[in-house]
Amino acid sequence: MENNIVLTNVTKEFKVLNRHEGLKGSIQDLFSRDYKTVRAVDNVSMTISQGEIVGYLGPNGAGKSTTIKMMTGILKPTSGEILINGKTPWKDRNKFCENIGVVFGQRTQLWWALPLIESFKLLKDIYMIPDKDYEETLEFYKTIVDIDPLLHKPVRQMSLGQRTLSDILASFLHSPDVVFLDEPTIGLDVAMKSNIRNLISAINEKRNTTVILTTHDMGDVDALCRRIVIIDKGKMLYDNDIEHLKKVFGSYRTLSLRMSSKELNEGFVESMKKQFDPYGVGVSAEDHWLSLVVNEEKIKVIDVLSKVQESVQVKDMKIEEISTEEVIRKIYTEGI
Amino acid sequence: MTGLRKYFTLMRAGIMEQLTFRIAMFVMVLGNIVYLTVIYFLWKAIFESSPTPVVNGMTFESTIVYLVLATAIFNFIEMYTVWEIGRNIQSGKIVLDLIRPMEYRTYLFWSYSGPILTQFFITFLPTFIAVEIVTNMAIPLGMNLLYFLISIIFAIVINYSIDFIVGGICLYSQSIWGINIMKQVVVLLFSGATIPLAFFPEPLAKIAYCLPFRAVYDGPLSILLMENPGFAQVLPTLAMQAFWALVMSLVSIGFWKISIRQITVNGG
Repeated sequence: MENNIVLTNVTKEFKVLNRHEGLKGSIQDLFSRDYKTVRAVDNVSMTISQGEIVGYLGPNGAGKSTTIKMMTGILKPTSGEILINGKTPWKDRNKFCENIGVVFGQRTQLWWALPLIESFKLLKDIYMIPDKDYEETLEFYKTIVDIDPLLHKPVRQMSLGQRTLSDILASFLHSPDVVFLDEPTIGLDVAMKSNIRNLISAINEKRNTTVILTTHDMGDVDALCRRIVIIDKGKMLYDNDIEHLKKVFGSYRTLSLRMSSKELNEGFVESMKKQFDPYGVGVSAEDHWLSLVVNEEKIKVIDVLSKVQESVQVKDMKIEEISTEEVIRKIYTEGI
Repeated sequence: MTGLRKYFTLMRAGIMEQLTFRIAMFVMVLGNIVYLTVIYFLWKAIFESSPTPVVNGMTFESTIVYLVLATAIFNFIEMYTVWEIGRNIQSGKIVLDLIRPMEYRTYLFWSYSGPILTQFFITFLPTFIAVEIVTNMAIPLGMNLLYFLISIIFAIVINYSIDFIVGGICLYSQSIWGINIMKQVVVLLFSGATIPLAFFPEPLAKIAYCLPFRAVYDGPLSILLMENPGFAQVLPTLAMQAFWALVMSLVSIGFWKISIRQITVNGG
């Protein structure tokens, strides 16, 4: 497989005015030349092959969107090189843009006041999609989602889920080689999320489109991506298979214990945290469940269980392998 | 032909979008009538206070015809591009426009050119007919109409370029309101749309003649009011407009190239 996306030592710095406090400070700022440099993306390199779906993860403000904006050519890196299908994103813009699709989760690229079909027709003309390809794509869309009721509905009357679905369909309409999806499932209900995941994987399979997906939803990652890239504070933390990540954290188990809500109070959770801190056990509580992420190399699950049982009565229990979400959370906070 | 199709399709979408907001259209027509009524009584008072019926070479009738038509032209060629650019910058929507396989300047022009066509039919044409009826055919019907159409196309290009330059300034200032209000006042004043250029005192008139703004309103208006002009008669005005259309387009393209770095280099 050829390399579709190549990033080499990409760094992006922003100059930001140092703002001062208060009214006096605001007046000072009017004439201030006091800039500081913020490094949003720091020396990121990766290569992605045609047809891959890559999950691009990181906490808020990690530099995900900045990277996406550089890959789409809206931002120019301070240093480093980006090649997408052998083309530099910020050169020969019109040609470049014909070959990419973009969805920014909270914004729509559709014509707000018009029915969806009009937006599709507009995109058909703007991207100069041949009639035959356009018809084929619409037919294909009809086999994966029920778009007929959406086609004649004005975009502004759509629910968030319907709109996101439409936006994703629109971004694939001109058969681009690469599609960037920036938090596509944000704010959607479970059923809609699963619809959208099916849609993305169906199109990816049929068209072999490369998809770069940023998200905070591990469900998206588990359902779609075999490979993930994790970034935090602009630096790349991880770039490999999800399976590999799970192997690294293979000795981790999540122990969930159910107890009455009276016993599961804040004081109790705090005392648990203190007790297990030396063993690196992550403690959190939700509803009636106390969940403990245990590294079996440091302490056995059974020992944790017996220690908890000393102070409360456990009504029910579950032991699970660590979920991707918890793996990521651990990487954010502790690194690999 | 297929190359041009994408432009017309954008224009068509603009018209359709505008037609969905019916009430807004009626309100605009109403607002227009109110404004014209104010203009009528204001200038009536001005002429009544003057000892002679002709002020600065213009009669009351010719002044009113001039101003009413200026307003009508304003209503149909104004694309409110600055507001649009400003809104797109502030909301970040500009990012989505920048990933289109089309220059932003071209994309925006055709996206918002639809209303020009609708406004021509719902405000300019009715006003034109009303003026003809009320003044008993004060606007001659002849070659001037053809030249006017050419002239108005230049005016649209110049007006858009001015807007686009001001929009570029918004990339630096990140705010639109003040800048846009200032632009509107300057353009409307120096173009002769609020006060006919004939009423300007000498030094101000000289400034107005050196600025591009008069090419937007005074140019097409003076051609429209000519009695069956020959080509030689309209040539100076059209040449002046063509000159400004070229200059302002180049400036707006160049300035945008520089100011867009504000996004691409310094972040949105």
